Amino acid sequence: MVIRKDTGTAHNGLSDWYWQRLSAVLLLVTLPLPFLLLWGVYSGALNQFALLDLLDHFLSRLFHTLLIIAIVVHAYIGLKTILEDYVHPPMLRVLLIGTMLVAMATAGIWWLALVWAWGG
Amino acid sequence: MTIRLSGVGIVSDMIHLQIYRYDPEKGGEPTMQSFEVPLTKPGMKLLDALNHIKWNLDGTLTYRRSCGEGVCGSDGMNINGVNGLACITPIAGLKQPIKIRPLPSMGVIRDLVVDMEHFFDQYRSIRPWLQSETPVPEHERLQTPEDRAEIDGSYECVLCGCCTTSCPSWWWNGDRFLGPAALLQADRWIRDSRDEMAGERLDQLEDAFKLYRCHQIMNCMECCPKDLNPTKAIDHIKRTLLARKS
Repeated sequence: MVIRKDTGTAHNGLSDWYWQRLSAVLLLVTLPLPFLLLWGVYSGALNQFALLDLLDHFLSRLFHTLLIIAIVVHAYIGLKTILEDYVHPPMLRVLLIGTMLVAMATAGIWWLALVWAWGG
Repeated sequence: MTIRLSGVGIVSDMIHLQIYRYDPEKGGEPTMQSFEVPLTKPGMKLLDALNHIKWNLDGTLTYRRSCGEGVCGSDGMNINGVNGLACITPIAGLKQPIKIRPLPSMGVIRDLVVDMEHFFDQYRSIRPWLQSETPVPEHERLQTPEDRAEIDGSYECVLCGCCTTSCPSWWWNGDRFLGPAALLQADRWIRDSRDEMAGERLDQLEDAFKLYRCHQIMNCMECCPKDLNPTKAIDHIKRTLLARKS
């Protein structure tokens, strides 16, 4: 075990912990909804037009948006924590976390664009 | 294998142990050495078996021990894959051969003796003493029974290191993560009604590595020989930080 000189505290970590739990609660509420839709389709309760009407509804888009935000935030913080655990060289860690942040933010924005039909 | 001995008038089973042996000064690779020890009394503890080996079979076997009653925390070791105190671990119930190794992830000084310096450095870093700015009263600082009850479940810690050395987060980031034992004690002083430095203590702990490396794996709680719950204490620190910010 290497004894390192204590560099004090960075006063961070609380926000990650808070947002990870908040996003988990949000996922608990929103994640079952797409499965409910799938059940509706496969059970025959929803035909194609009924499904499209449902997805087009403002409330559906709102819940979909919440789901996307919760997934991106939860996954980002979780993967960031794993990288912090296992990748020890600081520069490599920062690079990997930064790359992941850009990739996940891009995916999230692209998904939101599909949900709200941005650009037509 | 069970061997019956009847030479001394009692019939005793033999205990089979495999013990980690390593002397860095001599070099070479660590080995597991087998021993057989007679089961001499009901309720015999693992430390009794180690003492028997040390005193009768192999005087070079090296381990720490002191009170023999689970109070000093000296004889923390890995027993059949789970950390515990040898002096309060009954032989009965342990799968044989009993495999005894030093506490995981610690530098081995010799056999079952590990280097605890970093562990106690981290303990010192949380300033484990009462800090107060109010003048010292004539007699003593009083607590209500309710305030006193707040530190139940944390003051009992004997600093054996079983919890900290069983924590995977500490294995991965032990140079920065304070570990369950130090954080349990940090919480003990945050909860103590007589201590007036809770804010400064929280300031010192609010760090992604010092505190938030705890992923609630709960090995600490599983192995604690005193049945304490460091995970709960760490969660209390996190919630106190949240309450402070909200």
